[in-house]
Amino acid sequence: MSGSAELVLDGLARRYGATTAVARMDLAVAPGELVALLGPSGCGKTTSLRMVAGFVEPSAGRILLRGRDITGLPPHRRDIGMVFQSYALFPHLSVAENIAFGLKRRGVPKPEIAARVARMIGLLQLDGLEARLPRQLSGGQQQRVAVGRALVINPAVVLLDEPFSNLDALLREGTRIELRRLQTDLGLTTLFVTHDQAEAMAISDRIAVMHQGRLEQLGTPREVYDRPATRFVASFIGRANFFEARPGPAGGSFSEDGIALAAPAAATYVLRPEHIRLDQDPPAGPNAAAGTVELMSFLGTAAQAVLRLPGGRALLVEGPAALADHFRPGSPATARWSPKDLVALPAP
Amino acid sequence: MISLRTPFGWVLRFLAVVTFVYLLGPLVVIVAASFSDTGYLAFPPEGFSLRWYHSALGDARYLSGFFVSLRLAALVAFFSLILGTAAAVALTRFRFPGRALLQALFLSPLVLPGLVLAVALTVFFSTTPLAPPGMPRLVVSHMLVGVPLVLRVMLPVLRRVDRAVEEAAQNLGASPLLAFCLVTLPALRPGLFAAGALAFIFSFDEVEMALFLGSAREAPLTVVLYGAAQMAMDPTVAAVSSMLILLALVLMLAQQLYAQR
Repeated sequence: MSGSAELVLDGLARRYGATTAVARMDLAVAPGELVALLGPSGCGKTTSLRMVAGFVEPSAGRILLRGRDITGLPPHRRDIGMVFQSYALFPHLSVAENIAFGLKRRGVPKPEIAARVARMIGLLQLDGLEARLPRQLSGGQQQRVAVGRALVINPAVVLLDEPFSNLDALLREGTRIELRRLQTDLGLTTLFVTHDQAEAMAISDRIAVMHQGRLEQLGTPREVYDRPATRFVASFIGRANFFEARPGPAGGSFSEDGIALAAPAAATYVLRPEHIRLDQDPPAGPNAAAGTVELMSFLGTAAQAVLRLPGGRALLVEGPAALADHFRPGSPATARWSPKDLVALPAP
Repeated sequence: MISLRTPFGWVLRFLAVVTFVYLLGPLVVIVAASFSDTGYLAFPPEGFSLRWYHSALGDARYLSGFFVSLRLAALVAFFSLILGTAAAVALTRFRFPGRALLQALFLSPLVLPGLVLAVALTVFFSTTPLAPPGMPRLVVSHMLVGVPLVLRVMLPVLRRVDRAVEEAAQNLGASPLLAFCLVTLPALRPGLFAAGALAFIFSFDEVEMALFLGSAREAPLTVVLYGAAQMAMDPTVAAVSSMLILLALVLMLAQQLYAQR
């Protein structure tokens, strides 16, 4: 695997005194691949990215770039482009000078710098803004300058640190699609830090879910959503109901709050809200539970409900928008699901 | 915002006027007296004459004093900028034990009375002549206050600088030193100008240390003035003082204009 990979993190770890920010992380990014480091704040994703960029020294492990060990190299000798969360544009330099900065440091001849900067400005639709200073640009334009500045040097790997978090919601979706198109067109190997699971799902080839410094699961968005490796992954990516299946006294298996489950006992099961149907018939047999609708939210394309069960559990349910017409808060309802939608978590 | 048209607004206006009169009153007296057509200091001035300015500019003692002060203040500002900025960088960038204590220690000369410093330094240099007497000794002594002045201006300026900008420069291929020079230094320029102006003005206007530690042959302007004021209080002293005030005013204005650019 590491033979064909562009970027390899090999047992990478970082400790600060007694606390472990990143614990032995292994990750290989293939050429042209976009991998998201996803997790809540403090999970170690930013520390990992900064180790790759060279701003944080690893406590253990190696970083390989195109097969070469770059662990001991200072940031300015690594062939890596980075887009910072704050964009970190040079405030006293114009758009064109910002983009040309990396090329100048590399001693690229002047005519070539001009040509490559012009091409990048065209590619990012910054035409006419070449002479502007960063503070004279909108947030979206600043973000594009930051991207252009990192890409123009043709780095082996591009690092993105929450590049969309400073854009408003409307702009964010369009921008991430643009960036994904640019990344696939140019075949850029990319490591992308985000805390937004929807963002990671939308544009990543693979997602590395991190929690408390550990890599919890690495997989395609589909794999991570459909077959979560841990309880944390299941609850962080999308929403989830959990059942601890135990053997019943007279055979069969039951959840911790006594719901009969048609599934093997002694496992933790994940049930996604959209796999639950609601109706008004009494429950018969396993994989069904009666309760009272506590909350109903109409979301336009869908509706979300919370069903309170007698045992105290709040069951998350998602269904078509029409669900909101049939069930109101306070009305009784029965939840049903099919056995195939109970996804067992691998034993720890 | 408080509206200036309310009764409270009028109170504020009144207080502002009183404060300005209090601060600028003595300066007005000195500047007005320098134009007086009398042989003694008179306020309000009697008549109008520029002859005290003629006599000040024609007096070799004042002229040489002015150039000594200029050289002294420029050297103090230059070296204080280097030392003070370096100290401010270290205090804002690096975490080390005793950092807060060191910062307080660095700033402490600012709260000492000038006379105390002057006497202490006189005693110190008489037993340990670290710096040769005259200009070098005076530069070193003035830096004792010049460096803290620069430090106090540069500490908040450096805290506001976005470290990510310097990291971005490194990421794009600039060594740490080059990144600092290419990216951080331009952002510091207004602060450096203000800090340098402060150190310059302090050194130019300082009396006690100059009096105690300076040599008679190379007396700064303030020492010459002090001597002249003791001998005969004629309006020449007022004329020289007025020109000093003008110089400080010009420097402060230039610094303000530069900062607002």
